[in-house]
Amino acid sequence: MSTIGSEITKAGTAGTAPVRSSMWRQAARRLLKNRLAMLGLAVVVFMFAFCFIGPLFSPYTDNKIHLAQMNKPPSPQHWLGTDALGRDVLTRVMQAGRISLTVGLASMVLSVFIGSLLGAIAGYFRGICDQIIMRLADLLLTIPGLPLLFILGALLSDWKVPTEYRMYIVMLMLSLVNWPGLARMVRGEVLSLREREFMQAATVLGLRNRRKLFNHLLPNLVPLIIVIASLNVGGAILSESVLSFFGLGVMPPTPTWGNMIDSANNMIDFQKRPWLWIPPGFSIFATVIAINIFGDGLRDVLDPRPRK
Amino acid sequence: MSAFITKRLLYTVVILFAASLLIFSLYALTPGDFITGNIKLTPERKAELREIYGLNKPVLERYAIWLKNALHGDLGYSMAQQKPVLTLFNQYIWNSFLLAAVSTFLTWVTAVIIGCVAAYKQYSWFDTLVMVAIFAAMSLPSFFIGLFLIKILAVDWKLLPPGGMIATGSQATGLAYVKEVIHHMTLPVIVMTIMGVGSLARYIRGSMIDVIKQDYIRTARAKGLKERKVLFTHALRNAMLPAITLVGFELPALFGGSLIIEKIFNWPGIGQLYLTSFGLRDYPLLMGFTVLIAILTVIGTLLSDILYRVADPRVRLQ
Amino acid sequence: MKKSIASLSALLIAGSLFLSACSSDKGGNSANESANTPAASPTASAPADSGVIQASDLSKLPDTAKQRTDTIIVGLTDPSGAFTPYFHQSGYDGNVSSLLYTPLVTVDNKGVPIPALAESWDISPDNLTYTFHLRKDLKFSDGSPLTADDVAFTWTLLHDKAYDGDSQVPALHVKGGEAYKEGKASSIEGIKVIDPLTVSVTLEQPNASALTTLGSDVLSKAYYGKDYKFGQLDYIKKLHEKPVGTGPYKLEKFIPGQEVRFVANEYYYKGKPKTEHFIYKTSEGDTWQFLETGEIDFASFSATQENIEKLKSLGFVNILPYTPSTYGYLQVNLEHEALKDKKVRQAIAYGLDRQSIYVDANQGAGAVANIPSSPISWAYTEEGINPYKYDPEKAKALLDEAGWKVGADGIREKDGKQLTIHYLGSKKKDTDIFIAVAKENFAELGIKFEPEVFADFNALVSKVEGGDYDLASFSTPLLTDPADGLIQFVDGEIKGYDNPKFKELYDKGLATNDLEERKQIYKELFQLANDELPVIFTNYRKTVYAYNGRIQNLDVSPFNGIAPSLPDWYLQ
Repeated sequence: MSTIGSEITKAGTAGTAPVRSSMWRQAARRLLKNRLAMLGLAVVVFMFAFCFIGPLFSPYTDNKIHLAQMNKPPSPQHWLGTDALGRDVLTRVMQAGRISLTVGLASMVLSVFIGSLLGAIAGYFRGICDQIIMRLADLLLTIPGLPLLFILGALLSDWKVPTEYRMYIVMLMLSLVNWPGLARMVRGEVLSLREREFMQAATVLGLRNRRKLFNHLLPNLVPLIIVIASLNVGGAILSESVLSFFGLGVMPPTPTWGNMIDSANNMIDFQKRPWLWIPPGFSIFATVIAINIFGDGLRDVLDPRPRK
Repeated sequence: MSAFITKRLLYTVVILFAASLLIFSLYALTPGDFITGNIKLTPERKAELREIYGLNKPVLERYAIWLKNALHGDLGYSMAQQKPVLTLFNQYIWNSFLLAAVSTFLTWVTAVIIGCVAAYKQYSWFDTLVMVAIFAAMSLPSFFIGLFLIKILAVDWKLLPPGGMIATGSQATGLAYVKEVIHHMTLPVIVMTIMGVGSLARYIRGSMIDVIKQDYIRTARAKGLKERKVLFTHALRNAMLPAITLVGFELPALFGGSLIIEKIFNWPGIGQLYLTSFGLRDYPLLMGFTVLIAILTVIGTLLSDILYRVADPRVRLQ
Repeated sequence: MKKSIASLSALLIAGSLFLSACSSDKGGNSANESANTPAASPTASAPADSGVIQASDLSKLPDTAKQRTDTIIVGLTDPSGAFTPYFHQSGYDGNVSSLLYTPLVTVDNKGVPIPALAESWDISPDNLTYTFHLRKDLKFSDGSPLTADDVAFTWTLLHDKAYDGDSQVPALHVKGGEAYKEGKASSIEGIKVIDPLTVSVTLEQPNASALTTLGSDVLSKAYYGKDYKFGQLDYIKKLHEKPVGTGPYKLEKFIPGQEVRFVANEYYYKGKPKTEHFIYKTSEGDTWQFLETGEIDFASFSATQENIEKLKSLGFVNILPYTPSTYGYLQVNLEHEALKDKKVRQAIAYGLDRQSIYVDANQGAGAVANIPSSPISWAYTEEGINPYKYDPEKAKALLDEAGWKVGADGIREKDGKQLTIHYLGSKKKDTDIFIAVAKENFAELGIKFEPEVFADFNALVSKVEGGDYDLASFSTPLLTDPADGLIQFVDGEIKGYDNPKFKELYDKGLATNDLEERKQIYKELFQLANDELPVIFTNYRKTVYAYNGRIQNLDVSPFNGIAPSLPDWYLQ
C-alpha cells in the first residue's frame, strides 16, 4: 500500500498552483511522447482541416444539382463520383463533416459532462442526494424516445424555431434525458473508489468535500470517463442522422455523414454504388478511431495511478 | 439487505405510476392520432370514430380508464390489429426474446474474452486489430452490416436464408422446426453480436487495464499463481464491476426487440410491431408495450444495484 | 451509455421503416399500396404503355422456387390478422381478405363495373334503387348457401352505430339507414329482400359510385350474425382469424409477422383455383433478396431504369410494368393571402421543375400529373389540359402580374410582405429530392423557400390540419371511380376551395350511370381543376411487378390487384 500512501502525500502537498501546473505540464510532455496518441490527434486535426478548409478548394458547391451527371462513378472530374442528384460526393463529404464533427463532439462532451457530474454527485454524497438522482434516472429510463422526439419536433415547428437551430436544441434536450446510463456507471465507479484506502485516508486527514471530490476522486474517474467519451463519439455522429430523420436534424439538401450513409440504405446503392457510402462511412471511421486512440493516450497520461 | 430491497420496491411502485402517467401523456401529445392518418374518411366520420374510440375525452380521463383496466390485467385491444394487446405480445415478444437472449449471451462471452486478452496484451497487434474492427463496426449503421451479410452469405453464396424465421410454407415440426429456426436466426444473431460486442469489450478492456495495475494483482502474481488464473479469476472479477451496472440494462433489451435487425432480416418480433403501431398511433398497444418495458427497466436497475452490492462487498448497503 | 447508442441507432432504422410504412403518402394506414419501397403489395396498379418483358433464362431460377409445384408465394408488407372485410384497419389485411371474399360487382381494368357474385343488376330510372340478382347455388367456404339475406345483413351491419371501419356504405344515405343507426328502427327501410336471389336497396340521393360500393363482399349472416346485437360489434374481432368467405381461397393458417397460408376453396363460384396453395409472405422493405433467392414468386419495385435492368439480368422473372391508380399533388394553403391568387399558384406550377423532380431524379419511375385523375382511369384525358411545362420566365411574369415585385434582397414583395413558401413534407427520399430541386427553383423565382420535414405521415397531417403551411406533399389513396379523385375538392377537405361550378359538375357526374356522359362531365371538371389549380398536381408513379417466369395467366387488375386473376394462375 506504499504507492497509495505516497500518492496521498503528493496530493496533499499539491494544493498550490505551481505544483499543479507542473503536473499538467508533465502529463503534456508524456502525451507528446506517445506516438500513437499523437497520430490520433493528427488525424483528428486533419479531419477538421479537410472539412473546414477543403471545400474552399473544390470547384463544386455541395448542393448544386446536376441531373445529367447523376450516379457517376469516381472520375478525374469527380474524385469520389456523384450522387443521385449529380452532386459531387467529395465536396459533400467535406461539407458534411463540418456539421457532423461539431455536432458529434459537442453532444458527446455535453452528455458526458452531465452524466459524470450527476453520477459523481450521487455516488459521492450518497443518501438523499443519491436517491433523488438515481430515482430520477429510473424514471427517465422508462420514457420512450420516439414520442418525445415527435412532440419536440411538433413544438419546435409550432414555435417557428428556424430549422437550422433545431438540431442544437434537440441535441441539448437529448443530453438532458440521456444521462442515466452514463450516470449509473460513473456512480458505480465512485461508490467503489470511495471505499478505497486513499479516499478513506483523505477523510481521516479531514479534507474538505470539494477537495476530495475534485483533487482525489475526479482524477481517478478520468480513465473511465475518457473511455466512455471516446466510445460515444461514433454514436453521437450517427445519431445526427436519426434526428434528421425526425425532421429535427439538418434540413436536406445540407449533407451530414449520417444522412449521406442513410440515403444509400438499399440493396442497389449498396451493391452498385459504393462511392456513395464508403466516403462518409470511412470519414466517421477515421474520426472515431483517431479520437479513441488519442483518448487512450490521454487516459494513460492522466491516470493518477502508478505506471509500470 | 431485505430492508434495502423493500424500500427500493416501494420506490419502484411509485416510479412506475409516475412513469405510466408520463408515458400516457407523451403518447397522447404526439401529433396525430389513430384517426388522423386515414384520409379516406370525411371530417364528420372522423369525429364519429373518435367518439367510438373515446379519443375525444380529456387525457387524464383516458389515463384513468386505461389504468383501471390495466390494474385488472386488461391492456385492451389493439386498434389496428383488433386483437387483445396481450395476445399480440405473446405472438411477437418471444421471437424477439430468442434473438436477444442468444445474442446477448454471445456478446458478453465474446466481449469478456476479447476485452481481457486485449487488456493483457495492450498495444499488441491483437489489441490493435480488435480495436480497428470494433470501431469499423461502430462507424457503420447496423443496416449496412446486415445488408452486407445478406448480400454475401444469403444471396451470393446461398449459405443462409435471407430472412424470416422459417422457410416459407414450411411444414416442419419438432426437431426439424428447431433446426430451421436456428438456421434462420444465425445471420441476425451474428449482426447483433457484432453491434453489441464493441463497446462492451472496450469497457472491459479499460477496467482490466486498471485492475491489472493494482497491488492485489501484483500480490497474486508474486504468490506465484498461474497467469491465466490471475487474469480470469482475480482480475476479471474486479474488472467486471463497472460492467455489472450494465447488466440491468440488458433486461428490458431482452424483451424490447430490435427495430433494425428485425426489419432487415424480416424477423417477426415486437420491435417491428411497436414501430408499425407507433406510425398508426395504436395507443393501447403502445401503452402496454412501453409500460412493460418500463417495468423491466426499473426491475433491471434494481437488479443491477443488488448485483453490484453482492459483487463488491466494499460497497455498503444502504 | 452503450444502451443510448443502441437506442439511437434503433431510431435510425426506425427511419427507414417509416419510409416503407408511410410512403403511401396520404394513404396512411389505409392505402393498399406502398409506393417507392419495393415491398410487394399487389393492389392498385394498371398496365402502363409497354407490355410484359418475358423471362430470358428460366434455368437461372433458384432451386427453392423450382421445388415448389403447387404453391405460389407473394410478398405482402404487413398483414395483421383482421381479415374480415369492412372491419380491417390495415390495407394489407384488405389484400388478404380480397382473396377470401368475392364482391357482388367488380370492375374491369378500366374501372367499368362487371358482374361477380351478382349475375346482373338493375338501376331504377331515378338512379335511386339498385336491385341485385345473385347467381344460383352460391356457397360460402364452409359449404353453407349464400342468399339475399346475407347481402341484406351485410349492409345492415355496416349501419350499426358501433361500426368503426371505413366502408362508404353508411355514407350512401340508404333510406332508413340513419334511423337504424340511431336505434330508432330495428331494420333498414330501404333494404328489401325480394326473393332468395334478389335484393334491392333504395337511396335518398343518387350516387353513381353506389353500385360498386354496395356491390362489395358478402358476410354470412349465419356465421357473422349469430351473436349480433345492435350496438355491439366486438364479437366480430374473435372471428377475424377464422374467416368464412366466398373467395378463390380459404385461410389455412396465419402466422403473425410471417405468413398467411391459403388453400384453394372448392366452393368458389368459378370453380376451384388451379393452384392448390397460395402464401402471402410478410416482407417489409427490400424484397430483392427474397426474389433473388426464390423465397417469393412475385414482388413489386419502383420502375427505375436500374431496377428494370437488374430484374432483366436475373433472367428468371417476367416483368410487368404498372402505373398505380393514384396521383400526387402539393396541397396549397388557400387560406393564405398570396396563394388565394390563382396566378401565384400557376406561377408555382410553371416554376417548379416537375420533370426533374419526379421523372429524371427518379430514373424514369414517374410521370408529371396535371389533372386530378389517375392516367389509367377511363375518364383520363389530356384534351384542353395545360401541361404547365417548366418555364421560369413565364412563372416570373405571372408573379409580376400578381403584384409580387422583386425586392432589394432578391425576394419578391407585395405591400411590404415577402413571398414565402413554407413547405411540409414527410421524411422519405422523394421529399429530399423535392426540397433539393425546389430550393433552386424557388430561388430563381425570387420566392423564399422554408422547408420542414416531419417524421411520419400522422405528424405531417396533424400539422397540415393546424393550417400552418403553404405547400404540403401528398398522394391520393387508390382511386377506383373518377369521382374518388375529386371528392376532396367538394367535401371541405381542401379548405378554402369553394367553387359552386365545381360542385355542380361533381354532382352531375355522379347523377348518371352513362359512361360517355360522365366522361364529358369529367373532362370539363379536369379542365377546370387544371386551370384553377386548387392543388398543384405533381406526379404519377410507375412501378413494375416481377414474377417467377413459370407462373402462367398472371394479370394484375389496377383496382383489385391480383385477386381476379389469381384463380387462373398455375405453375408451368
